[in-house]
Amino acid sequence: MSFMENLIMALSSLKAHKMRSILTMLGIIIGVGAVIIVVAIGQGGEAMLKSQITGPGNTVEIFYQPSDEELRANPNILLQAPFTQEDIRALEQIPEVKRVVASGTKASTARIQKKLADVSVTGINQAFLQLNELNTANGRNFSTADFLGARRVGLISDKLKNELFKEKNPIGSIIMVANQPVEVIGVLEKPTGLLAFGSMEIYLPFQTWKIIFGSSDFTQVTLQAYSAEQLQTAGKKAASLLNKMHNTEKSYQVINMEEIAQGIGQVTRIMTLIIGSIAGISLFVGGIGVMNIMLVSVTERTREIGIRMALGATRGQVLIQFLIESMTLTLIGGIIGIFLGWGTASLISFFAGWPSLVSWQVVLGGVLFSMAIGIVFGILPANKASKMNPIESLRYE
Amino acid sequence: MIQLQSIKKSFLIGKEKINVLNDINLTIEDGEFVAIMGPSGSGKSTLMNIIGCLDKPSSGNYFLEGDDVSNYNDKELAKVRNESIGFVFQQFHLLPRLTALKNVELPMIYAGVSKQERRERAVEALEKVGLSDRMDHLPNALSGGQKQRVAIARAIVNKPKLVLADEPTGALDTKTSKSIMEQFRELNEEGVTIVVVTHEPEIAEYADRTIMVRDGMIQSSRFERGL
Ligand SMILES: Nc1ncnc2c1ncn2[C@@H]1O[C@H](COP(=O)(O)OP(=O)(O)OP(=O)(O)O)[C@@H](O)[C@H]1O
Ligand SMILES: [Mg+2]
Repeated sequence: MSFMENLIMALSSLKAHKMRSILTMLGIIIGVGAVIIVVAIGQGGEAMLKSQITGPGNTVEIFYQPSDEELRANPNILLQAPFTQEDIRALEQIPEVKRVVASGTKASTARIQKKLADVSVTGINQAFLQLNELNTANGRNFSTADFLGARRVGLISDKLKNELFKEKNPIGSIIMVANQPVEVIGVLEKPTGLLAFGSMEIYLPFQTWKIIFGSSDFTQVTLQAYSAEQLQTAGKKAASLLNKMHNTEKSYQVINMEEIAQGIGQVTRIMTLIIGSIAGISLFVGGIGVMNIMLVSVTERTREIGIRMALGATRGQVLIQFLIESMTLTLIGGIIGIFLGWGTASLISFFAGWPSLVSWQVVLGGVLFSMAIGIVFGILPANKASKMNPIESLRYE
Repeated sequence: MIQLQSIKKSFLIGKEKINVLNDINLTIEDGEFVAIMGPSGSGKSTLMNIIGCLDKPSSGNYFLEGDDVSNYNDKELAKVRNESIGFVFQQFHLLPRLTALKNVELPMIYAGVSKQERRERAVEALEKVGLSDRMDHLPNALSGGQKQRVAIARAIVNKPKLVLADEPTGALDTKTSKSIMEQFRELNEEGVTIVVVTHEPEIAEYADRTIMVRDGMIQSSRFERGL
């Protein structure tokens, strides 16, 4: 007797008790569905977390943290910008590095006529524009000529525009930044989001910034690698290069992505363990439900079993029949559960703005696992069926 | 050929052992039509179950076609039931959710017959018992006589040499009983050995030989017709 025939037979006997079959499946549907939801959201969250730590576009920031000795030798060291232009040029030579985004920030004032505002002034190199979106709401953005010619032009934030210009059009106006004239060429877009109040900011080409503040050092440096795989190497090389150039041991550092990924992995493993045991319990309960119903079914169908045996079914064939029946029950439940879980996870991630991820491994695992439940919890009822005495079964009312 | 040699069968009820069959010796030749009669509780069904390989004797030997089946294991007995024996029961014992055709196909499923051949042979068997127009009916939609005909079709579909019927007309009216017995007669004329248990002398009259069982013993074996 082939597997297909057993399957068809199982389906028809499950169909004969639709309500009961569906109610029995419910335990498996909920169990498998819950696992899929949690795994989908968990994996989505892990992916999101990792991408946030890595930064968009394979970037990593370089930190400067002076050692205790350096601090003792020069207590003002933290006030000095840690990256020189030489450093930037050296970093650009690293083969894995695609771009070096560098900027310097100083707190200063901006004035037009009698209006004065405290602002943070950031000088940026051209690579900065490639990675950070400085979109202008009106006016124009920086051009290459602005960077090369150290032009006295700047972009101001929406909030600063309101402070200094109110409703007037600021484009073309000259404002005094740290008492030096700068032409406003554009206003940045208002930051979106509920909690984004915006800040008073001016962006200048780095050379212009350097002239105004008389400083040629950068305060922030971010590396962009060609690929996510090269990012770690690029970061390590950059840190050791800077430490060598500045004669420091490990003051220049990048976040160790591997360590963080490992940390996240550990958290995920613990989560998986907890969720796994909860899912395990719920599936165990579902499995017991299946076993219970299959036992009832076997008792109810005692006479059928007797008839089949009288017609020549071996004990093995009866065993297989009931095993396949319980496996079919849990398999269908599992498949419904997978789709239900998938749908719910997508719905949750749609409303929560959190990605969900259903991998084929999870789907395959769900299918195999629900089949396994059917077999494990079907063994007892199927065994009971196969051990029946044909004569007594035929007499059963 | 069926040969029973000092067959004994006892059941344990609690601690008490009751002997149901006491030293049965019986030979049934190929192609015979035998009726088994006797009072209720005399052990007729128990004897039929042993002949049909549904049960094993407590002691004694049973030779079917020369093979000692009293030593067969469950799997071998299932094969014998499937290939060599057809059963017809008083309560028909059709599977209620299967159509007449699917019920008749059942023994062939366990014999490993291909799907197409199964269908062909089931149709053939149903035609033989005169039910070609009821093949797709569920048992519930059939009369008692029709159900018993489906059961007969199922019993003969694997072409066994032996058909056993335990009170096949017990649930049918006189007229229907007669037509069912005619059916057995017809089968017997084709060479199938038939053993029927019955309470009614008119039914036993269809057989060539009547065996009387009383208290688990064969009391008499009398030929109705000359062989
Ligand atoms: N499994 C069993 N366990 C205990 N006793 C049994 C069992 N099967 C049959 N018996 C007993 O064996 C005796 C013979 O039963 P059997 O069914 O063979 O009688 P029968 O001749 O077929 O009777 P009837 O004409 O009423 O069908 C009865 O007393 C019955 O109670
Ligand atoms: Mg009886």
